[in-house]
Amino acid sequence: MAEFTKETLEHLKRLARIDCSLEEEQEVLSSLQKVLSYMEQLASFAEPAAKDVLPESGVRLRPDCIEASFSRDAFLANAPDHVGGMVRIPPVLKEL
Amino acid sequence: MTKKALHLLSASDLSALFSQGDVSAREIASHFLERIRSLDASLGTFLSVLEPRALKKAEELDKKRKEGKPLGKLAAVPIAIKDNMHIEGELTTCASRFLTNYRAPFSATAVRLLEEADALLIGKTNLDEFAMGSSNESSAFFPVRNPWDLSKVPGGSSGGSAAAVSARLSLLATGSDTGGSIRQPAGLTGIVGFKPSYGRVSRYGLVAFGSSLDQIGPFATCVKDAALAMEVLGAPCEKDATSLPLPKEPYPLSPSLEPMTIGVPYDFLKNLNPAVRENFDAAIDAFRELGASIVEVDLDVLRYSIATYYILATAEASTNLARFDGIRFGVRAKEAKTLEEIYSLSRGQGFGKEVKKRILLGTYVLSAGYKDAYYKKAQEVRSAIQGAFDASFKTCDALLMPVAPSGAFAHSSIHDPVEMYLQDIFTIPANLAGLPAISVPSGFDAEGLPLGIQILGPRFHDVRVMQAAYAYEQKTQHAKAPPFAQGEKSP
Repeated sequence: MAEFTKETLEHLKRLARIDCSLEEEQEVLSSLQKVLSYMEQLASFAEPAAKDVLPESGVRLRPDCIEASFSRDAFLANAPDHVGGMVRIPPVLKEL
Repeated sequence: MTKKALHLLSASDLSALFSQGDVSAREIASHFLERIRSLDASLGTFLSVLEPRALKKAEELDKKRKEGKPLGKLAAVPIAIKDNMHIEGELTTCASRFLTNYRAPFSATAVRLLEEADALLIGKTNLDEFAMGSSNESSAFFPVRNPWDLSKVPGGSSGGSAAAVSARLSLLATGSDTGGSIRQPAGLTGIVGFKPSYGRVSRYGLVAFGSSLDQIGPFATCVKDAALAMEVLGAPCEKDATSLPLPKEPYPLSPSLEPMTIGVPYDFLKNLNPAVRENFDAAIDAFRELGASIVEVDLDVLRYSIATYYILATAEASTNLARFDGIRFGVRAKEAKTLEEIYSLSRGQGFGKEVKKRILLGTYVLSAGYKDAYYKKAQEVRSAIQGAFDASFKTCDALLMPVAPSGAFAHSSIHDPVEMYLQDIFTIPANLAGLPAISVPSGFDAEGLPLGIQILGPRFHDVRVMQAAYAYEQKTQHAKAPPFAQGEKSP
């Protein structure tokens, strides 16, 4: 299995949208190298491939209809920033 | 019954006293709130204490009883809620800086059921951040200490709930168990912890970690109370698509064991440490004396459990925790100037190291080029594990294993991530297969720290597991409160 490098970590940080301090990066790098090395034992699992499974969940789908949800005020009460009844974020469209 | 000893009763006995009018709900609530005030500073089990809520409910219950109205199954029983489950109007922090200001707009189904059963919700308990950990040292706020020895961990991730019940600051608590987070801390703190079958208890209102693994279950000081809690919690729920459409079931208990064959995976357990081995062998003997037949089962494939689990659980966590983006709720990084910065800085500042590690690991095992080698392979092994359990249950009615590889370990003593993950070696298999499993006190190690054994049953045979645990508990009588909870010494 693949080597886990600083470049791999940078790639994962971008994919997962997570910033890490330099100190954290050192620890994450060292930890994940150890964990992935431990996981290599799965390569020795040699039973014939079975179908992917999850515990049988008996998942039932709800009827596709509109139901009452939270009020706007209840939702916005937890929003970090809002204005005029809407969540506020920085501009995502740049001026031409 | 003196007020001083209320915390040494079982939940069912305390509720009976209340129902008979021997003690008021107000006295019960005040007694446990006072215990939390005087003892919890040294334990760190609660992140918030719901004093006004508990006292208001107690007042309602006293009125209800005086008026002769019917009382719920858990009338006036104090219960602590792990702080990754929502109680409407209260904070849900998941022991994370990311959610320090999050106030739940609705209650989890499990919480609603407990309230309808007239339990007193007394507080929200500490945990490893987002339920990721086996020692309760990764809470963003403060660690939890083991009531049996404050220098030791209580286990995790539901360490706050376990330690609160062990210290008799509450008589019941909820936990969530993704890889052993109820059973392992129950074992390390000398109480009972039950992980129901996957789908038996609704997870609606539980902050998701690994959705194919997560289950809510109870902590209690004895099996009878855990069964009582399950009679309330084990109900179908339309708001959780994985909740099974099965009616609530009663948990009739008897001190004698129904004729039963118990399987032991001796090969998988060949490297137990001597103290755990001796304790486990004594548990096997106790079941023999109860009339059970003991047979060996082949579960060698369980040696792959940890690797399998940490691939699947982190993969699921990396997607579940994508919702914590600093946009709709939680803490937003003040210095973020762009949308991308809101995501990465808010998550960078809000999540602790263990959570970051697991999200990054989950992202890795799902990323292009590695998915087949890790995620797909792990699903195959999970299938084999499930198949091995199915085969075992053709020759036995239940399985017996230790709960953890050792008793409680010292704070800050495990730094290697794999060594920490291996604390869950005996509990993770039940999650991978969706099985019911219970942790029951089985005695003490040479340091006087509690040990536990684990009984696992086929999926949906939750009652059988509880019945076997009850017979074992009644025969062996290992469960007891730690010395300071009995007033023998202060922590």
